[in-house]
Amino acid sequence: MPTNHDYVLHNCDHYDGHRYNHLDKRKYGDGADICIVGSGAAGGVLAYELSKAGFEVVVIEAGPFWNPQTDFASDELSMQSLAWNDTRLVAGSDPLGMGHNNSGRGVGGGTVHFTGVFYRFHESDFRVKTLDGVADDWPITYQDLEPYYEKIEKDIAVSGPKHFPWGPFQGPYPYPEREPISANAQVFREGCERLGIRSTVAPLAILSAPFDGRPPCINRGFCNQGCKPNAKFSTLIHHIPKAIGHGAEVLSDCMVTHVKVDKSGEVEGVTFVHDGKEYFQKAKITILSAFCIETPRLLLNSACPQFPDGLANSSGMVGKELMTHSGHDIFAKFHDEVRLYKGTPVLAVSQEFYETDASRGFVRGYTFNAHGARPLGLAKNLVSKAGIWGQKLYDIMRDYNFHAQITLVGEVLPDKNNTVTLSNEKDEYGMPRPVVTFSYGGNDNKLIAHAVQKANEILTAAGGQPSFVTPDTGHLMGTCRMGNDPSTSVVDHSCRSHDIPNLYICSAAAFVTSGGCNPTETVMALAARTADHIIEEAKKL
Amino acid sequence: MQEIRTRYPGYDILKEEDHWDEHTREIVLKRLGPFPEHKFLKHHEAQMIFTIAQHIVYDHRKEILDYVLHHMDNTLSSPVGEDQRKTGTPEQKVLIREGLKAIDKLAKKQYGPPFLEISIEQQLSILTALHKGLAPPMKEWQTIPQKALFKKLATTMVSAYYSHPTVWSEIGYGGPAYPRGYVRVERGLTDPWEAKRDANES
Repeated sequence: MPTNHDYVLHNCDHYDGHRYNHLDKRKYGDGADICIVGSGAAGGVLAYELSKAGFEVVVIEAGPFWNPQTDFASDELSMQSLAWNDTRLVAGSDPLGMGHNNSGRGVGGGTVHFTGVFYRFHESDFRVKTLDGVADDWPITYQDLEPYYEKIEKDIAVSGPKHFPWGPFQGPYPYPEREPISANAQVFREGCERLGIRSTVAPLAILSAPFDGRPPCINRGFCNQGCKPNAKFSTLIHHIPKAIGHGAEVLSDCMVTHVKVDKSGEVEGVTFVHDGKEYFQKAKITILSAFCIETPRLLLNSACPQFPDGLANSSGMVGKELMTHSGHDIFAKFHDEVRLYKGTPVLAVSQEFYETDASRGFVRGYTFNAHGARPLGLAKNLVSKAGIWGQKLYDIMRDYNFHAQITLVGEVLPDKNNTVTLSNEKDEYGMPRPVVTFSYGGNDNKLIAHAVQKANEILTAAGGQPSFVTPDTGHLMGTCRMGNDPSTSVVDHSCRSHDIPNLYICSAAAFVTSGGCNPTETVMALAARTADHIIEEAKKL
Repeated sequence: MQEIRTRYPGYDILKEEDHWDEHTREIVLKRLGPFPEHKFLKHHEAQMIFTIAQHIVYDHRKEILDYVLHHMDNTLSSPVGEDQRKTGTPEQKVLIREGLKAIDKLAKKQYGPPFLEISIEQQLSILTALHKGLAPPMKEWQTIPQKALFKKLATTMVSAYYSHPTVWSEIGYGGPAYPRGYVRVERGLTDPWEAKRDANES
């Protein structure tokens, strides 16, 4: 049995090398108040807040219940298993890289392998239609999310600068900024300073001092391979163990294949598969927090006579307006070593180019993260995305230690042609594989060109010689967007389905626009707000 | 290929293995072999992969290429998904198996002998054509997209190559760093165990 002082094993159903396997003796086998599909950034927060409020909560997760000490390794190749590796079919003129690039599997979801960069969206992100005449406004404003941003930052002790110069929140963060910063972050800040561009130490969901039984970061650098010391927040080590402590049950290695609707048109529960056997979980409220591909896939796959086009899809918007962030990596070579492997990957940032500037010839903007890189990730991107191989690849990699990198997180505008649909090909569960179609639009490409040039200017000012750019993307958003109008959106301002009152869709899938920065904090704030809404609604009954 | 392969001739990452956690050590040391018999690749396919890998990763060393080959076989025999696959491209097992046959056929068509018997220049010219999707027309390319074939081969090979501890030593990568982490991360600073350049090199 787990000992009380072991932070992660305590309160979790994964102990002594055995995984919970008694699906016939489930805690809420006869029915739960709330069933949450997915245990990532959104599902973890929802499970914690709702179980704390007294609801009987079941979380169903497709992947394993990881133990960081025995399951994680300081190794890129083996840790690709943290990703959603199931094959997705990709299409469009800019087909997306999936897997480790943007999708998690297992308790904690993407938070297990995210970089920990933790931004609030800006006020303008919620009003893109009003301000820029493109995309749409969100049905909520920055002010609606503000208390939840603040709550999440305190709950997990976000570290960051005393003064953050962009957007409505200017600091200070609950925990002090990280110190020292890596050579790559120093190079970035020097380049920025010479050009008069403001930069700061990154706001991070990574501890700069002890908190809640967890130690500060040791600069191991493997954030994307799963944090072994538990210095980086994930819902695996924070929200889920606490939720279990409040009575929630987590069913890991269980793949939900169907959302079932009863005669009255309400969701009755979900069907899931564990070890080849099918089970049913009944619940009064079902919340889908399965991110941007699996959520629409599940809704479309759950089509039934009452809802022939899939659940929650009277608008036809399920699976539409998939967004990513342009995530180009810009490299320069330096005379002295930078050593991109050392320290937290992102330790310095700039949002100087975040807001629309009419003189640039495109709307919206982007964030720069000074970004570390490891050999496999770099070499794989060089060959697959920049088409560099053989001696040329070898020559670059020999000088791996002499390169500095800046990564773009660029806003991508929603487009109805960027979609998640079902294919004719079936997976191991008999579910149709999703087809993920994505192409950049004209505005997206202008933004990328601007950012690549600016990044090269910064690296040059720092003394580097621009060497190569690998086109890349990061994050997924959209496919079940929020809105006030049921004919053009899937969920309302509280992430509740317009069509089915006891069905919620709460994750980055509900985003209306992508913003120009890492989205995890906004996903978590949205989840905390949805939890509050569900708690308030229950009080009315 | 006898040019200087490293700026860190004195650095051997494996000397640090005692400082790694047990799980990581087990994973990394397995890459040194010996490797089990192939589960998917047939003898001729394995020879072709070995030869193509030499060109893709620009290295001839058998002990490293054997690991690359092992990783390819593991990938193709595993039930784990391939993250993403372009619509119209067959699954990786079919793509590689049929793709290798097509490469042999192309070699014979262009040069007479099969791929393994043509010159290095001719082999490179075939790979370059596949990379660009510009190989001479053959009916096989309708079901085996050239670029997808090249990309699958190359990314799988490169992923294994840059996971080999010998290559880590050569590029001066710190490698596994738990539980000790890094103390000196700022510009110009290194922890005592990290790769250092020769004092003579500028």
